[in-house]
Amino acid sequence: MARLKFLCDTDRCIECNACATVCKNEHEVPWGMVRRRVVTIGDGEPGEKSVAISCMHCTDAPCVAVCPVSTLYQTDIGVVLHDKDTCIGCGYCYYACPFGAPQFPKSTLFGSRGTMDKCTYCAGGPEENGSEEEYRKYGSNRIAEGKLPICAEVCSTRALLAGDAEVVGEIFKERVISRGYGSGAWGWKTAYYPEERS
Amino acid sequence: MSVYESEPVRVRGQDFTGYRIAGAIAAVLLIIALAVQVWMLFDGFNRTSPEVRWGVNAEENGGSALASQLLQNRTRLQNERFLTGPSPDGPGETFKIGPEVLLDSVEMDDPESILTESWRIPSDETAAILRQSDRVIGVSSLPYVNANLFERPFARDWRFGLADVATHIGAFAILGFSLMLALLLAIRGRVPIAEGKSGKKVKRFNIVERATHWMTSASFILLALTGISIAYGDTLIRPFGHDVLGAVGWLATWGHALFVTPFVLGLAIMFVMWVSKNIPSKLDIAWLKRGGGFFSDTPDHPSARKFNAGQKLIFWSAILGGGAMIVTGFFLLFPFYFLGLEAMSWMMLLHAVFAVLLIAIFIGHIYIGSVGMQGAFWAMWNGEVDRNWAREHHDLWLDEVEGRASK
Repeated sequence: MARLKFLCDTDRCIECNACATVCKNEHEVPWGMVRRRVVTIGDGEPGEKSVAISCMHCTDAPCVAVCPVSTLYQTDIGVVLHDKDTCIGCGYCYYACPFGAPQFPKSTLFGSRGTMDKCTYCAGGPEENGSEEEYRKYGSNRIAEGKLPICAEVCSTRALLAGDAEVVGEIFKERVISRGYGSGAWGWKTAYYPEERS
Repeated sequence: MSVYESEPVRVRGQDFTGYRIAGAIAAVLLIIALAVQVWMLFDGFNRTSPEVRWGVNAEENGGSALASQLLQNRTRLQNERFLTGPSPDGPGETFKIGPEVLLDSVEMDDPESILTESWRIPSDETAAILRQSDRVIGVSSLPYVNANLFERPFARDWRFGLADVATHIGAFAILGFSLMLALLLAIRGRVPIAEGKSGKKVKRFNIVERATHWMTSASFILLALTGISIAYGDTLIRPFGHDVLGAVGWLATWGHALFVTPFVLGLAIMFVMWVSKNIPSKLDIAWLKRGGGFFSDTPDHPSARKFNAGQKLIFWSAILGGGAMIVTGFFLLFPFYFLGLEAMSWMMLLHAVFAVLLIAIFIGHIYIGSVGMQGAFWAMWNGEVDRNWAREHHDLWLDEVEGRASK
């Protein structure tokens, strides 16, 4: 079975924020929340790097492990999804997330936290695939249509790659061969190979 | 000497047969629960495994090779543009897939961890491209809290702390301590009023003291139950259904925020009301050295004023432990208003660990105040204790009360 991952090639990312923008538009992500962001490291200094980050859909996902109401679950292609109907807004997934992916709308009585929202890898939620209810809660389900996340598919420099890990790895390795090593696959070790020593 | 004390009626702890049988039954049940807990501890760390399967018509045909093929082909389109087109000579519009649903997903009957295990090991080629795991925080042009965060590997340790360490500590503390008390009840029986009931009552707690105690204890128990259903719902409630767990989770969340008000109020009043009588003294050392006379069936207990060393320990557990719960809980109620992400993470971990330890301690308090000791319960229920009970457990306090009464 394919194992879907994200890979942001920091040697190509130009911080255009198209991925963050198209994601908000595609899924009608509410105000105050953002499923994908671009972080710039060493801004304005030599060797500045930008990297787009969202939920990485981790191996042995920590958020799924700490969720007290089993809102979060993983599918056999590696995608981590959530069920907005059972979420209690406790925020444990946020503390357990190595990438700060879960988002919470400020909509409760105390103005603190509503039910969690995060990147779905454009794969919807537990509702029927492609249904209107699913779109309302989780945004569009591109995986069900055989497509990959829109953030990667619109990336103008093809810095952000999404899809089967083997194919993504091959594409990345071809680049490494022609341009040199670069700075490697950011976040992959934390996300996908947490117990690997190096 | 009064007439009531002429001929002491000897009561031994082991005479409470009914209580001892109940204690034995509880002990057996707790041993089973603890055995399950030990098994869970050695069964390995908490791991996430896929629970849902994708496929083309996944319900009917189990094979998901077609879905894999579809997604892999789509992934290839992200290769260099000269390889994927669009170009006049290229194959053209292959990347266009219509908006109709091609893939669907079904829940797996038997979630398999084998996928997780295979995902965890990188191939040599993949291992070569990995960048070191590192804490990375940059800047972001997006105006959101923590938007500048790229990576914090500590989150994985946090998950281990909550899902494995705190959970196991709590289960062992609560079940283990309960088992100890059940065995104590089964073997030793209750702590008796050695001279038997005198029939004469002494006022011990007034209505304000009792009302405060019960308000605090009721809110503590409700906080504990809602907390336990959040912390252990995956084990205790999930077998009854995913939706039930979600519904209970919501009630528990709101209840947890609701019951904190009477708890804070009760704790504050208790502190003001009882702190002067709970200052540690030399008497407490003697009391602790003799274990409070817990195992003796003679009326000769170590001396104590209104509160003995055991009760002082409970008082300070409530004030300090409860206080720590309130402080950490307050920060959790207002995420990121006062503290950043790392500090919030620690607040959550501390809240969980303090909570399970406090619950274990107060199971001991509930035990000794109810089935564990004959005559103790009435002190808090109607405020009056038997004079012989008072003389055995709080002799100096009794002298004080009677001395004052005779003035």
